[in-house]
Amino acid sequence: MARYTTEWLKQLLSFAWDGLAGQRGRSALTVLGMAIGTASVVVVVSIGLVGRDYVVSLIEGVGSNLVFAYGTGDGINPEELDFADVDVLRNEVPGISGIAPVLDESVTISVRGQPRPLTVLGTTPSYADVRNMLVEWGRFHTEREDANGEKVVLLSKELADKLYGGAPPAGETLRLFDLRFQIIGVFREGVESAAAVNRSEVSGLTVIVPFETLRNVSPVRDIDVVYMQAVSPSAVPAVVQRVRDIIASRHRNIENFKVESLEQYLVLAEKVSSALTAVLIAIAAVSLLVGGIGIMNIMLVTVSERTRDIGIRLALGARRRDILIQFLMEAGILSVLGGTLGILLGAGGPLWAGAAYDMPVPISLLSVIVALAVALFVGLFFGIVPARRASDMNVVDALAYE
Amino acid sequence: MAARDARSWAVRLRDVHRVYSRSGAPVPALRGIDVDVAEGEFTAIMGPSGSGKSTLLHILGLVDTDYEGSYEFCGRRVSGFSSDELAPVRNREIGFVFQAFHLLPQLSILDNAALPALYARDRTREDCFDTARARLEEMGLGDRLEHKPTELSIGQRQRAAIARSLVNRPRVLLADEPTGALDSKTAQEIMDILGELHLRGSTLILITHDREVAESAERVIHVRDGQIHDGVA
Ligand SMILES: Nc1ncnc2c1ncn2[C@@H]1O[C@H](COP(=O)(O)OP(=O)(O)OP(=O)(O)O)[C@@H](O)[C@H]1O
Ligand SMILES: [Mg+2]
Repeated sequence: MARYTTEWLKQLLSFAWDGLAGQRGRSALTVLGMAIGTASVVVVVSIGLVGRDYVVSLIEGVGSNLVFAYGTGDGINPEELDFADVDVLRNEVPGISGIAPVLDESVTISVRGQPRPLTVLGTTPSYADVRNMLVEWGRFHTEREDANGEKVVLLSKELADKLYGGAPPAGETLRLFDLRFQIIGVFREGVESAAAVNRSEVSGLTVIVPFETLRNVSPVRDIDVVYMQAVSPSAVPAVVQRVRDIIASRHRNIENFKVESLEQYLVLAEKVSSALTAVLIAIAAVSLLVGGIGIMNIMLVTVSERTRDIGIRLALGARRRDILIQFLMEAGILSVLGGTLGILLGAGGPLWAGAAYDMPVPISLLSVIVALAVALFVGLFFGIVPARRASDMNVVDALAYE
Repeated sequence: MAARDARSWAVRLRDVHRVYSRSGAPVPALRGIDVDVAEGEFTAIMGPSGSGKSTLLHILGLVDTDYEGSYEFCGRRVSGFSSDELAPVRNREIGFVFQAFHLLPQLSILDNAALPALYARDRTREDCFDTARARLEEMGLGDRLEHKPTELSIGQRQRAAIARSLVNRPRVLLADEPTGALDSKTAQEIMDILGELHLRGSTLILITHDREVAESAERVIHVRDGQIHDGVA
């Protein structure tokens, strides 16, 4: 190998280039085939990842590390959580970063002269975080407003649209329980997925007031649900257990309550996504196979032509190694061009679509690497095998090859 | 005889057999051939079509290695050489003009003619192309350097093939009907060039159907049915 100077390798590269340029049609088809194969792998894997991320984000969007407890209201002797329970949970459950008890009252308000049912939720400021609520306009109420029982209210987006036609309700008030509440904000769900997992008490016409305020102005005494946010996913099981123990110790029958997390849904999502991934890998494998067969076809069509080419070079004094290196370079150029083009198409297309629809599109680095490696392997294999065979032939046989 | 023994041999074939068996029934193309050509000798090979002339020349040119028997080229027993050992001999010591030319169709005739020089790897690129250009110009192709073989007439292709065979100044030039596709005037020009080469000491072995060409040779080998019929004029 010592005698393979850069000069000579450059010369072989120029032979390789001549070889490709001499068969522009074949070269272009090979690059295209390889590009399509590579692109389809990258695209298919990206689609899989988008789907998987979407499902997981739906579930996590309801509130990350969420734990919630509520009385079922079923059974012979139904029980509900009360204010004292909330205080105990707040003080005696380690590993939570926020707690949001929710009181729930139904009233009737008049919207453009029509009486409409309205849900009034009383909750703490933590609710926004724990339940992943977005404040569209204005602000959430503060700890201080909650502690003082101040008459402030946030409207659901739907209600705000109905009452004010989308304009920010700055300085407006809302009459509830015969009292004037100052409108301080408009909210909506962080993701539209809570309904999907049955955890949306804020759909439809809803307002949120401070927990203490609702406690003062309404006779409702049963806590609808208590949301808690565990500090981390791994803390969730311990929090669930602790909450369950506390409720069991303070009530007649734990069976009257439910303490849940979203873990079960995440497990399901994980299952769905791994099934999805398996299907996608199968599809990607098929598309690579098809791409590979296409390349093989194109290569085989020109084997006779290339075999004569090799025969002539051998007759003029090329060594076997010279031929192999030249063809390795030809195949390498085609594979790298095809692979790169494929990645540009496969990653660029989804990224462009993602930008157009304002959606984050994950491009799997692994899929890019795998696709490139396979393109390189297929290209080298189908480029080198005929070259090897031809350079092993008796030169006159290669010259006369049909 | 004694005088000839003092000279060294360019090629010596002993009991060479060649059987084509790739498709269908085996065809015995050469059946026990002995050939001795001294260095510097100008030999013509004649014989009817299908008698085995090209087969013989391919073996002499080291492009056909599927034969039985022994072959000594300029004192080396090349019948036992590996393909990597044969490559430099083909490249530097043998010039071969094929009956079908075998020019690379996608390359210009300048690129074609430069190939043997490039594969020799002992000169700069510029040198290789300068030599190729000079040989092509001698063949009257100075104004066709950048043309592809398909853009040339048969006679021009033949001259390009001859130019390519001369690029590395081979000790032994083998040519399969080098004047076959040429008119008598051009044929004479080619023969003059080859004759000059011979005068400068090259060994020349060429196949021809042309009596005139054969007469300019020092010796004629007659091939018939895969065997040598020496001395039969
Ligand atoms: N590749 C091959 N496969 C099978 N038979 C072959 C092959 N090449 C040549 N032959 C046969 O071997 C014999 C000798 O062929 P060769 O080409 O040496 O003849 P030639 O004397 O050069 O004829 P021509 O004057 O027509 O060129 C012929 O009978 C031919 O049919
Ligand atoms: Mg012949």
